[in-house]
Amino acid sequence: MSNQKERAYFKRYKEDVQERGKPFYPYAMFHDTVMSLVVVCVIVALACVWYFTSGEEAGDAGILGPRYTEEADPGTTSFVPRPDWYFYFLFYLLRIFKWPDSVVLGTVGIPTIALVLLLALPFIDRRRERRLVRRPVAVVGALLVVASMGILTYRGATAEESLAGEAVEEVEAWQQEQGLSEEGVQGATLFAQSGCMSCHTYLGSGSSNLGAPDLSEVGADGRSPEEFAAYVANPAEFGNTVMPAYADLGEENLLLLGTFLSESTGGEGGGEGE
Amino acid sequence: MARTKSKRRTQIEQLLLAPLNWLEERSGLVGAVKYFLFRKVPHDTNWFHTLGSATLTAFIVQLVTGVILAMYYKPSPNEAYASIQMITNDLTLGWLVRGMHRWGASVFIILLFLHMGRVFLFGAYKYPRELNWLIGVLLLVLAMLEGFTGYLLPWDQTAYWATVVGINLNATAPFLGPFLADFLRGGQDIGTETLARFYSMHMLLIPGGLIALITLHLYLVIRLGVTSPPWSKDGAGVEREEVVVGRRGLVEPRPRGDGAGVEVRGRPEA
Repeated sequence: MSNQKERAYFKRYKEDVQERGKPFYPYAMFHDTVMSLVVVCVIVALACVWYFTSGEEAGDAGILGPRYTEEADPGTTSFVPRPDWYFYFLFYLLRIFKWPDSVVLGTVGIPTIALVLLLALPFIDRRRERRLVRRPVAVVGALLVVASMGILTYRGATAEESLAGEAVEEVEAWQQEQGLSEEGVQGATLFAQSGCMSCHTYLGSGSSNLGAPDLSEVGADGRSPEEFAAYVANPAEFGNTVMPAYADLGEENLLLLGTFLSESTGGEGGGEGE
Repeated sequence: MARTKSKRRTQIEQLLLAPLNWLEERSGLVGAVKYFLFRKVPHDTNWFHTLGSATLTAFIVQLVTGVILAMYYKPSPNEAYASIQMITNDLTLGWLVRGMHRWGASVFIILLFLHMGRVFLFGAYKYPRELNWLIGVLLLVLAMLEGFTGYLLPWDQTAYWATVVGINLNATAPFLGPFLADFLRGGQDIGTETLARFYSMHMLLIPGGLIALITLHLYLVIRLGVTSPPWSKDGAGVEREEVVVGRRGLVEPRPRGDGAGVEVRGRPEA
């Protein structure tokens, strides 16, 4: 598209608006005002439904969720992290990638590419054509983006999180499969209770979040309980900046957890391990 | 009627207009507002064009409720949770203000996406409005950051752990990631420093950026005008060869019908 034609179009646009347009006030402003009132009413209605269907107790959820959950406590690790709904698509995107090799694609790569494409859109699509039937690529592209964002958001919203109570019941099965020692069983119970399975899978249970690896055979490389304890206490020291530090569990518990992990040398039900 | 104005009436009118004239003479603002209100927009402007101003309305709701919340909220880990409970349960209409702020954020984001979708489908990002598309994308990014920083402030478990994960995800970025995570955290752990800087970013830095960019965005909308819907048969700026056909035949401009009449438009753009 030549610059000249573009300029001619815009000149014609301005003339058309001058000749046949209508004044912003009152015509367009009427529509804007009605729409704005609708927006404010919707917001007030959401606030009312949210408040009047929930209770004062922390976690007492109504139709639109609780007013607040329990006070923040860095010590508890059984809480399943969950962002606000408009980050669900990113949240779910991370499940697709496996840590540590490709998770950066999900956290940085794809979002950055999407943002750059979005910014570059007017410079990629330089045609003057605006009718949808003449813009098949744009329409198909838009549909694909909307569909994938919708699916990722939906999957993120309905993603199953493992419940600590359910996981604890599986400890016995793990003991048989892995031949865990007394200390290993204690560590396994901690593993099930401390929210590790919000991100890690173990012998087919738990949910794979944020690209966290399956741990069924994590001990197969012969690392000692002490090494595992140090890793879990501060993963960042080992180059893992995704996993939070669990130093709050205490040295004794960390060592039990380490024993459990080093005894986890792979069962038949294990997934692809590290 | 104007001819029979009494002297008294003229005096009153002058008295009323005097402050406006004073302002106009010194700033030109009255003229600017008049231009804004009475500027022409394409005749086929419709409900789809209200999504932008609806988004602005949602943003203004966030500003007003946010200012009120800031009067009662205490940004320290020891007091934040209690102050949120106090605002929600004890403060008169506090629940409404917090509820509107909380849900207004979601409405704001939804409207941003709808507005962006409208601009995309209308092809309204094309010449000469490319710059305004860029500003719009930046506004979307800032709005998402506003959501991220605001999510921590209630200081409950949801807030805390979502932020732990969010900051850890930032840390995976090559080169700058770890620095960014350290900056956001304000140290090794998420605590007093983190809450203070999230609060500061949430209510000063990012809203400042949003307001500045929205001002630019609106300036460009007013300067460049809005586009006619792409399906409009006589939209502003549409080439009108068919009008020539009509004149030649001394008949009314031929309607383009169901879009199949494009043959009268001349060759499609390559």
